[in-house]
Amino acid sequence: MYRKLKLMLGAAAVLLAAVPAHAETLRFALCYDLTKAYTFITPQVAQAVKDYAAVLNLKGGIEGNPIEIIVQDHGNEPQRGIECYEKVKDQALTVDFLSTPVSRAALPRAMKDGKVMVQALAGRGDAVDGEVFKWVFTLGPTYWGQAANIVSHFKKQSGGSLKGKKIALLYIDYPFGQEPIPVMQELQKREGFELQMFPYPLPGSDQSSAWSQMRRFQPDLIVHWAFSAMHVVASKEAKRNGISLDKMVTVNWFNETDLDNIGHDAAKGIRRSTTVTSGIDNPIMKDIIRELYDKGKGNGDRKFLSDIYYSTGLAIYAPVFEAARLALKADKGPLTAEKMRKGMESLRGYDARGLLPPITVTAKDHGGGGRTRIEMWDGSKWIPQGDWFTDYDELVWSTVKQHSAEFAKSTGK
Amino acid sequence: MFYRQAGIHHTTYRGDRQLFPIPFDRWQLAILLALALAAPMLLSSLYMKSYVLPWLIWTAAALGLNLILGWAGQFHFGYAAIMGIGAYTAVHATRNGIPFEIAIVLAGAVATLIGCAFAITALRVRGLYLALSTLALQFVMDWVINKVPAVSGGTQATIQAPPLRLLGMEVTSDAGLYYVVLVWCVLVTIFMLNLRRTGLGRALVAVREKDFAAAVIGVNSFYYKLVAFAMSSFIGGISGAILIFTFYHAVTPEQFAVNVSIQVLAMVIVGGLGSVIGCYFGVAFILLLPGIVANLIFAGAQAMDLKIGIELLAHIPSFLYGILIIGFLLFEPLGLAKIYTNLRNYLIFWPFGYARK
Repeated sequence: MYRKLKLMLGAAAVLLAAVPAHAETLRFALCYDLTKAYTFITPQVAQAVKDYAAVLNLKGGIEGNPIEIIVQDHGNEPQRGIECYEKVKDQALTVDFLSTPVSRAALPRAMKDGKVMVQALAGRGDAVDGEVFKWVFTLGPTYWGQAANIVSHFKKQSGGSLKGKKIALLYIDYPFGQEPIPVMQELQKREGFELQMFPYPLPGSDQSSAWSQMRRFQPDLIVHWAFSAMHVVASKEAKRNGISLDKMVTVNWFNETDLDNIGHDAAKGIRRSTTVTSGIDNPIMKDIIRELYDKGKGNGDRKFLSDIYYSTGLAIYAPVFEAARLALKADKGPLTAEKMRKGMESLRGYDARGLLPPITVTAKDHGGGGRTRIEMWDGSKWIPQGDWFTDYDELVWSTVKQHSAEFAKSTGK
Repeated sequence: MFYRQAGIHHTTYRGDRQLFPIPFDRWQLAILLALALAAPMLLSSLYMKSYVLPWLIWTAAALGLNLILGWAGQFHFGYAAIMGIGAYTAVHATRNGIPFEIAIVLAGAVATLIGCAFAITALRVRGLYLALSTLALQFVMDWVINKVPAVSGGTQATIQAPPLRLLGMEVTSDAGLYYVVLVWCVLVTIFMLNLRRTGLGRALVAVREKDFAAAVIGVNSFYYKLVAFAMSSFIGGISGAILIFTFYHAVTPEQFAVNVSIQVLAMVIVGGLGSVIGCYFGVAFILLLPGIVANLIFAGAQAMDLKIGIELLAHIPSFLYGILIIGFLLFEPLGLAKIYTNLRNYLIFWPFGYARK
């Protein structure tokens, strides 16, 4: 009798061990501003992340673990962002704010608690320095890098020399717009072009004084640091002052809505810096359309799929999910923040099936390489101007180091 | 039954003039204080860090604004700028090796100095014109912070606050930070409660009611307005510094932008002008309610398994919150404090309500 019981227990133990460990739900938190200042981008990004997670879940999730996306609104208020952070920090593998003020307010906490924070294209640019910002991942170019790449693009276009060229930096006069200034000034010294700044005040609806000076300056290139409706105002002013839009290259925040508002014909020739392949003609997008939207299971309006901010959402989260996969592969068992961070830092040449420039994240570089490319609107579609590239890396990194050293000093580490 | 007044006889002036003559009030306060002291043990760290702590800091700040708006009757649209001056002063001071205890007084002092310098010019006008000139203070401060890298910390415009060191000890635990905030909030509250019993407080009220009339009875209205500006700036400056050191841990310009000024103003008005307890209610309403409503809606939608788009889901709370503000102001235009007073008056006579007439 006793032996029988022992045998039975033994058999049960063997059976239990044979059953694979219970799949855990992998949670990723998006604490986004869905109601105030960032609404021009957050809905598309959140929709993209949810769609991509849904497609991966249909295929069995990440290494057999289902993905869950937590979305919460923080209304661009730091206090509510911190509340969201405190709420999700112990259940989610990553937390993302997509708002500069809220990212800045939450960053010290993520650093102190040791939680992976995704901070792409918003917040502190110097967070790309993984040696100082161990827990923050920017997964994309810095604004300094974007500015340097734009200048490099123009240099190639002008036949390898910028001597005697006139470059105008047109920007919205607050920290986001002012960010490229140090890099542009340094490049001016190196390349010998003429640089002039054209700031205009918030909220960017009045740019007339900047543009009447622009007319006197007659630049060869206008680098425009702005987003949303500011582009529409700029295009009107350009028209009024007789400056052609094909002289303008914008930062990556120029989407299809802005294009519609300017008018497809009027916008002909405008260029934008991009961090992701635009449009719906790539394998991941096709998967999403086939598996979700064709079956009426998408997480939002189908018309947003062709919006570059949708692609940007994929560009941020494809590497994050891939990092979770790498982390799970390297180390079985429940994923912790530490393992997730290691997973992020083991991304090597990941390009999300051609959606992204190849991204290699290391313990030093949390941005993935900082490659961008320039696209031009030809009146009906965006034409990439050459391949993914990056230039002036040592200048960009010395700028990054200069700022991150300041942070490192103030936290006493 | 509640608020029993039977058997309370004041035989001394001192007894007659005490803050809370009714024992029930004192008991309530003692229990609340005990709860406040025990809060880190009672509440989870999520609630402590993201609700209670900001609530107390903003209450201290709102009390400072209430001093100038509710007591002295002077509009102030630049209160966030004043808080920002305090915050930047304290952060820069501590980063340059000045101990926190001195830095925080310095924060108050610099805020007072700049606030007063502005007030001297601004107070030559009244009412809406004053409101506009204080708004100018806000924009000037925004501009200075944005344009002077030495203040803002360069293009990143973020300066990390060093860890809070109090009397040589590093305060990093959640409970420790909470007690720092609690002490400051209680100090400001005690000051404000006592202010209304002093000659200064009465002078401020006289100025609020009519500055000409106040001048006729010998109250120098310009002087008292200036004093009110100074006191409120001092409280605002220190509250701003404490906000950074205990809550944000890094100072950035948008934490003290014009929308924050409007927000504090809303806290004071919704809470009740010239009321101390109103500030506590107003801050809870303006600062915490949007988040709480959003969480409730979100949990509700999840529980009922509603398939609502995230955008709509995020906007429903804003919509409800708007209705709540209108509702409360229709129900009681004098603010949340008045609702509290009505309730208290009702309970004083309960169950003999007819005796009130």
